[in-house]
Amino acid sequence: MKTSKGISLFGFAAVIMMMGIAAKCSTTTDSSSGPQWSVQVDKVDPGDVNLAASFQIAIYENLVDELGKTKRFKQVFRDGDRNASAVSDLLILKRTVQKYAPGSETQRAVTTFSGATKLTVRSQLVTRDGQVILERTVDGNVRFMGGNLRATHNLARNVAKGITQSSLQVPSQSVPAQSGQRSGASTKLVRSQSGAS
Amino acid sequence: MNHTDIPWYRTPNASLLIRRSALAAAILLIWYTALAMAQNASQPTNSNTPSSIRATHLLGFEGAPSNASGTLSIQDDSLQFQKNGKPAVQIKIASVQDVFVGEQSRQVGGTAMTLGKAAAPFGGGRVVSLFAHKNYDTLSLEYVDANGALHGSIFELDKGQAEAFRNELAAKGAHVSNSDQQAKQSNAEVRNENK
Repeated sequence: MKTSKGISLFGFAAVIMMMGIAAKCSTTTDSSSGPQWSVQVDKVDPGDVNLAASFQIAIYENLVDELGKTKRFKQVFRDGDRNASAVSDLLILKRTVQKYAPGSETQRAVTTFSGATKLTVRSQLVTRDGQVILERTVDGNVRFMGGNLRATHNLARNVAKGITQSSLQVPSQSVPAQSGQRSGASTKLVRSQSGAS
Repeated sequence: MNHTDIPWYRTPNASLLIRRSALAAAILLIWYTALAMAQNASQPTNSNTPSSIRATHLLGFEGAPSNASGTLSIQDDSLQFQKNGKPAVQIKIASVQDVFVGEQSRQVGGTAMTLGKAAAPFGGGRVVSLFAHKNYDTLSLEYVDANGALHGSIFELDKGQAEAFRNELAAKGAHVSNSDQQAKQSNAEVRNENK
């Protein structure tokens, strides 16, 4: 009786392990089939939000860093880079700030429940001819510890994670606008309300 | 049989322990407050014209490590940052597209202070946090490299120094827009979150 129970437990564990490996393989396939595109990171568009210049710069720089780490793109270009004009398969990453609450590190340290720095940005991956490949609304918050600028780092990480987890089409094919959000993503990625059709 | 229940906090040992904890918290509080006030008092408030100032590179200046303290200086037509004991990295001032000045308030003391505050009894750490912050100026630069690619970098300076440094950069040929005043206001720490 004990033996059969042990065997069934072992079988259950084996099935769970196989499911985990299969999930990992599918993610790897998505990532490895990705590096056909190159990406150019545009300057942040503050929109109607009064966002400090340091925040705009920090979002831009952190995003260039994070996208480079994902290995999802052949090359990551900065805004205005002349080398990007020679690249055929280029996506342009545009970001528009939608919400920004500056918060306060001191308030966070004193109260632990208020003073959060909150940043919400709509990010779009578009082709040269303006076709939207991916559109998402991403948050970057600092709720407990860390300076206000840390929100930009969290935001950039979430944007990069969202792009990594989505499946982008092969560059030469006709590319319908879609957003390939994987359910169960650990980051808070909210599909845009005005998402591309 | 005349035994009466004595509350635990009335027992000699517990009472002594509470008094000692309170004393320790008070000493810790006074020490942290004095430290924070000394740091605030030591920061320069006059804005003389610097060509070489102490700065912390937060991010973006190509070749310089993030969160590194060093010297930010203007050498002829170049802006250079040198981390203590390391070779300097520099860019041409003419490549600077815009310079922004802002303000930040930060908790001082780093990890040690954070741990100390967490360990302080009776919420003493929170009281310390009220005083243990320091105001800084931020100097944000946008510049382009040889390929025309846009870079951004942020430096943290002592309060009152960023404006003078920005003016000096402008005098040396950096492009400076007038939007920095707006940025300065929005970058300042907001005390009222309900707006």
